[in-house]
Parts: sequence; C-alpha cells; structure tokens
Amino acid sequence: MSRVSENSSSAAVNFAISRAKSKLEDLQLKGSTMKSMNRPSDNPVSNIESLTIKSATADNKQYMRNSNFAQLNLSATEHALENITDILVKTKEIGIAQASDLYNSDVRKNISNEVVQLRNELLVISNKRIGNKYIFGGYATTKPPFDKDGNYRGDSGQMALEISKDFFIPINLNGSEIFFSDDDSSAKMAHPLEKFQQMERTPKYDVGKEPKQLEDEKEESLQKIDHSIQEKQTQKRDLASNAEHQNSFKPRDNIFSQLNTFIVALESNDPKLIQDLLEKFDNSISRLITLRTRVGSLMNSLESAKSGIDQENIDFATRQSQISDADVAELFSDIQKQQQILKTTYQAGKASLNRTLMDFVL
Amino acid sequence: MADLLSIGKTGLFASKKSLETTGHNLANANTEGFSRQRVIQQTGIPIVKGGLIHGTGSRIKNVVRIHNEHVEKKLHDATSEHSFFKEKAFQLAQVEDVFNEINQDGLNKVLNKFFNSFRELGNQPENETIRSYVRDNAKLVLKDFKRIKTTLDSIDKNISRKVQANVVAINQIITNVATLNKKIATSESSSDEASDLRDSRDNKINQLSEFFQTKVYSDGKGRYVVSAEGVGTLVAGGEAQLLAVGGDNRTGSEPDGRMHVYFKNRPSYPFTNKIKKGELAAMIAVRDQDIGQLRKNVDLVAFEFINTVNAIHRRGYVNRQVKLDPQGKAIDNNKNHPINGINFFAVPKELKNISENIALSKEVLADLSNITTAMSPNSPGDNRIALAISKLQSEKILDNGTTTLEEKYLQSIGTIGLISGKAKLNADQSHGILNQTKSVKERFSGVSIDEEAANMVRYQHAYDASAKVMKTAEEMFQTVLSIKR
Repeated sequence: MSRVSENSSSAAVNFAISRAKSKLEDLQLKGSTMKSMNRPSDNPVSNIESLTIKSATADNKQYMRNSNFAQLNLSATEHALENITDILVKTKEIGIAQASDLYNSDVRKNISNEVVQLRNELLVISNKRIGNKYIFGGYATTKPPFDKDGNYRGDSGQMALEISKDFFIPINLNGSEIFFSDDDSSAKMAHPLEKFQQMERTPKYDVGKEPKQLEDEKEESLQKIDHSIQEKQTQKRDLASNAEHQNSFKPRDNIFSQLNTFIVALESNDPKLIQDLLEKFDNSISRLITLRTRVGSLMNSLESAKSGIDQENIDFATRQSQISDADVAELFSDIQKQQQILKTTYQAGKASLNRTLMDFVL
Repeated sequence: MADLLSIGKTGLFASKKSLETTGHNLANANTEGFSRQRVIQQTGIPIVKGGLIHGTGSRIKNVVRIHNEHVEKKLHDATSEHSFFKEKAFQLAQVEDVFNEINQDGLNKVLNKFFNSFRELGNQPENETIRSYVRDNAKLVLKDFKRIKTTLDSIDKNISRKVQANVVAINQIITNVATLNKKIATSESSSDEASDLRDSRDNKINQLSEFFQTKVYSDGKGRYVVSAEGVGTLVAGGEAQLLAVGGDNRTGSEPDGRMHVYFKNRPSYPFTNKIKKGELAAMIAVRDQDIGQLRKNVDLVAFEFINTVNAIHRRGYVNRQVKLDPQGKAIDNNKNHPINGINFFAVPKELKNISENIALSKEVLADLSNITTAMSPNSPGDNRIALAISKLQSEKILDNGTTTLEEKYLQSIGTIGLISGKAKLNADQSHGILNQTKSVKERFSGVSIDEEAANMVRYQHAYDASAKVMKTAEEMFQTVLSIKR
C-alpha cells in the first residue's frame, strides 16, 4: 500500500481529467471537420499522398479542359475536311462529265462559273476560324492562311495539347497538309517537347558558383539547341511557303491550283487537260480521306483519354476519402465512449477529493 | 515531585512542538515543493539516583523533512526531459501550420495552378486574357513563397525573443539559489537541517530544470554546486555565474543573424548549441536545425523553379508582330523591347533568402505580350514554350535529376509532419513519466491531511495526558503541603 498525499491524489485526478478531455477535444475537432487528419503531423505519410492526389486531380481537371478544347478543334477540322471533300467530289463529277467531247465550249464556259463558285467556297473553308483563330494556318493563327488566289500564307506549325499525363495529340492540320499533296510532313506527329533536351538532365548548380555565372553556362547550351531548332523551322517554312511555289517551274499539286487549272481548261475548252486533272482530283480526294481517318482516330483516342481521366478521378476521390475523411460511425461511437470516460473520471475525482478524516474526527 | 512536574513539562513541550509541526504541514499542504516535516522525539537523558535509573521525560531532537534526494534528482531529469519535448512540439506545431494544406491552400496548390495555367495558355496561346491569368497565378506563387519565408522568419524571431526572456528568468533563479546557499550555510551552522530553505532551493532547481538539464551536488557544507549539462557551472556556493544573450555584434563570433547564449563574463564563447534538454535546447534545435533546413529546402525549390521556368521562357518569342529579315530571321534591334530571351521571373541575385526576394521580371510586369509561348517569331498559335513550362511540373530537376519540384516540397512537408508528430508523441510520453515521478515524490514527501488529522488527535491526547501528569504533580504538592496543617 502506498502512501497518498493531498497533492498526489489531486494531481492524479487532474492528469486523468486532462487526458480524457484532450482526447475528447481531438475527437470533437475530427467531428467538426469530418476529417481524420487536420495537421500534417496527424498522419505525415497520408498527408503527402493526399496532396499528391489533390495535384493530380487538379491536373486531370486541366487535361479535361484541354481534351474538350482539342475536341472542338478536331471536330471543326473534320467538318472542314468533309466539306472540302464534298467540293472535290462535286468538281470531279463535273470533270468526268466534261472530260468527254460531248459538250462544246459554250457549255464549258458556263460550267466554269460553277467551278469558280466551288473554288470560292473552298477558299472560305480554308480560312475557317474558331473564335478569332484560323485553324489551318499552322502557328500563324491570327491572319487568314490563304489569300484570294489560294496562296498559303501560314506555316507548317503543328499545335499539340496534353490531354492526359504525357499524352500529347495534335489538334490542327495546317493548310499545306490539306491543300498541298506533296508535303510529306503530314504523316508524323513529333512530340512537341523533344527539342527540350535540357529538361532530361538536371542543370547542376554548384554551391560555390554564382548564379549569374551558372545562368551564362546554361544560356550557352540552350542557345545551341535553339539554333538547331531555328534552322529546322525556317527550312520547313520555305517548303510550305508559296513564294517558292510561285517561282518554281513546275506548279505544285495544290487543290487550288487544280481548280484553277480546271477553270482554265474549261474556259479554254481543253478536254485533254480535264482528263489529266481527273486523276489528280482522285489523288486529292484520297488524301483528304486519309486525313479524315487521321482526325477520326485522334478523336477516338481523345474519347478514350477522357474516359480514362474520368475513371482515374473516381479512383482518386475514393483514395482521398479513404485517407482523409473521418469514419463517421466510428468517430461518433468514440465520442460517446470518451464522454462516458470523462463523466466517470469526474465522479471518481469527486469521491477521492471531497472527504478527509477531518470531517469525522474533529 | 519536581521531577514529575518537569517530566510532565517535557511531554507538554514535545506534544506542543509536534502539534505546531502538524499545523505547519497543514498550512503548507499546497506549497509547491514543500516536504512534510516530522518531529524527532527522544527520551530525556536518564539519571541514576539511589541506585535506580530515572527517566527524565522526552525531548525534541530535531525537526526533519521527509525527503528523498534520489527521487528529487529523478524529478529534475524528468522535468527537463518533458519541457524539452513539450516546447519542441509546441514550436513545431507552429512550423507545420505554415505547411498545412489540409483545410486551406498552400504552395503545392498554387504551384499546381501555375503549371495548369500554362496548360490553359497552351490551349489558346494567342489569347491575352489567359496571359493575364498566367501572370496572376505566378504572382500567387511568389506570394506564397514569401508567406512561407516570412512566417518561418517570425517563428524564428519569436524563439529568439523567448530565449532572451528565458535567460532573464534563469539569471533570477540562479541568483536565488546562490542566496539560498548562503542562508542555508549560515542557519545550519547554528542548528540542524534548514528544511524549509532546502525545500525552496530544491524547488528552484526544479524550475531551472525546465530550461535545461541540471547537475547538482552538495559541497559538504550543505551548499549546492549547480551546473547545466554540457555548459558549465552556474552556481558554486554563494556565487552565481550569470548568463547573457546577444546577437551578431558580440565580439569574436561568426555573424549568423541569430541570438546566442553565453556567460556574461565570457561573451566570446557562446554555448547556444551545447545546451541539453529543457525548453532552451528545444527552441534552439527548432530554430537552428528544423527551421533552418526547411528554409534551405524552400529556397532551393524557389531557385530551381525560377531558373528552369526562366530558361525555357527565354527561348520563346514575344506574342507580337515582329519584322523578319530576308532569311526569315527575326530582327531584334530595339534593346528596350526585346523579342526573345525574356526572363519570366527576375533573375535572383543569390540563393540565400531567395524566396523572400523573388519577383516577376520587369518585362512580364510591363507587357503581357512578353509572356512567350512560341518558339519562332510571328507564330501566335505556337504553344510549345507554354507546354514546355507546364511540363516542368513533372520534370525531375532537383537532386541530380531524381526529384521534381513538387516532390521536393512535399518531402519537406513530410519531414516536418514526421518530426512534429514524433515530438508530440514524446511530449505525451514524457508528460506521463513526469507525472509519475511527481507522484512518487508527492507520495513520499507530500502532506496528507488525513495523516495530519490523525496526528493532531494523537498529539492533542498526548498533550492532554502530559497536562494531566502535571496536574497530578500539583495535586501531590497540595497533598504534601496539607500534611503540615
């Protein structure tokens, strides 16, 4: 049996009460926020996981926006391609009809008016806009990519968007791909960031070195890369630009020039030339169909990326809830239990604190 | 019969003294650090008279306190242990609040928003409104870096201030202990143990143990020699070595912008980092190690963030119409309006304290079209720069290419959460131990009212009985005197 003094018993009661109360307070906080953790130290590991999930969810939200934007662009492109194909098919029908010697020059002249109209329609489509943005201009999106003679003023820029983590898809076709058949840049879509080698390796910062000096070093290496990109870029521009086309001896196989030639052939009553053109129309149509298939498959991968993100979001939400949400049933039964403990602690304290021998012997 | 009277008297005295002590105990039942006292009673020196040994009643030998030195030492240790963890948990809780993103937004969220705003800009690179959205988000990032920095700084400053206040308190306590040493030596030279003075001295040492771990031994004359573990002697006999705090202007020290602790008469030997246990050691550890490390990590994240964003951004061309030379190269002849090589953030001067001094570059602040997205001039639809910046989010650019910015920052949060949680746990545990030790001491030395009540009854009875003895002696005198009549 150990001796009990006034202070030891009151301290014991105090300790018991404060322990019971602080537990209740903790539970109360959990109950009021409905979260199982309220500070990083409550569960450091889960806290980090929860923050990572939060970022990933925010990223997914942005990827979703990107996907929707890409979808808008691609479906506009698809519609435009469809319209162009329609125009070409129509032109070809006219061409087939006019390739024979059945018609005379007067009829052909009249027909040529119709073709001129088709060509104008084509021009309108080629300068299609979404909002203020010309979709067929490559990177030159703020000015019409085709002038009234059908000369291409844009570049071969390919705009890509990230529609889910590290998954980039192109969202535009440039004018040269669609209207110039011998441009072979169309088939491949390079990763938009493959030129950024410096992102692969870390720029090292020695503690001893001054940041300015480091900056210079970095600058140098970047400029090297820069230069190579620049060269490629300008090369491509030349390929696509019409300046070269106008000067070149052999006319480029261009839908506009096909139509122009067709108009000339009709006006000059030249069925031989029209016959030659028919094959070119076929080539253009089949190219357009290839392009449409490409856009279609991009749309498909967009859809699957979107549903992937949706699924991921659900998984994230589930995990997030597991990590940070309080288990309501458990929480409230804990609160109930803790309240009971506090109550009995009070009662026990009352029993030991309120009575002394003084009450009886003196 | 005179013997009887005097025996009765000794009993009366002894009982009265015991009652007094009981009263003293009861009066001090709630005095901090008080040890109950007990009267040590002895029989009087017997005398031999007529071949018989006569008892001479009782006498008071001395009044002692019920005290266990060993328990006292354990209490000091438990006190410094607990106050160390308690203070550490308290300070770290403030630090972790800076990084608490559970119910509010923090740097991780705004960084994420920053990168996603570049993704949004990648959707519509020709859009001016989104450029301003990007700039606003960048400002939020800068603001949050600054928030972290200034909050950490203010916790640091508060700690230094508290250290200063602690040193004042410590000086007072050690002066008190020195005075008590002198008083105890004087009063014990003429009598026995000076219980009450010793109690209050032990209590002072316990107060001192809240600040750091103490080491105490007696010098043989009942005077304490008090030293702080790892630091040196603070009190020797009646002399106290006072402490002082000072910043960088102290002579002979490396300036590090922090408050240091040293002996007043030896200012060039600070022992700030040598203090063990107790509140002081906890505060200094949090200030110099934990906050220091966090600050370094946040600075590093800020530095890498700014430089990598800048490096990519510099390669972009402005979102304006630019004149080209015949080779298709951009003509860049206006120094005040560069078209390329523009920094997004102002280039930091030094790594240290970078998160406080970061800002957007003046070009970006002046003109939204200086936020570049294109890798070639006159390409408003080119989003490659914006994409590259947004991809920095998942690029492993830190720690030799093994860690992303987000990971590095989250590591810091993880670490602070872990050490804060550990300190909290330790504080709870050491609180239990302290309470246990306190209770051991109180059980042994503390006043029990029940016990004192019983004693009171006992001593009163003895007093009554002794008085009865004297009365009997008086009656016997009367009897003897009445013989003559």
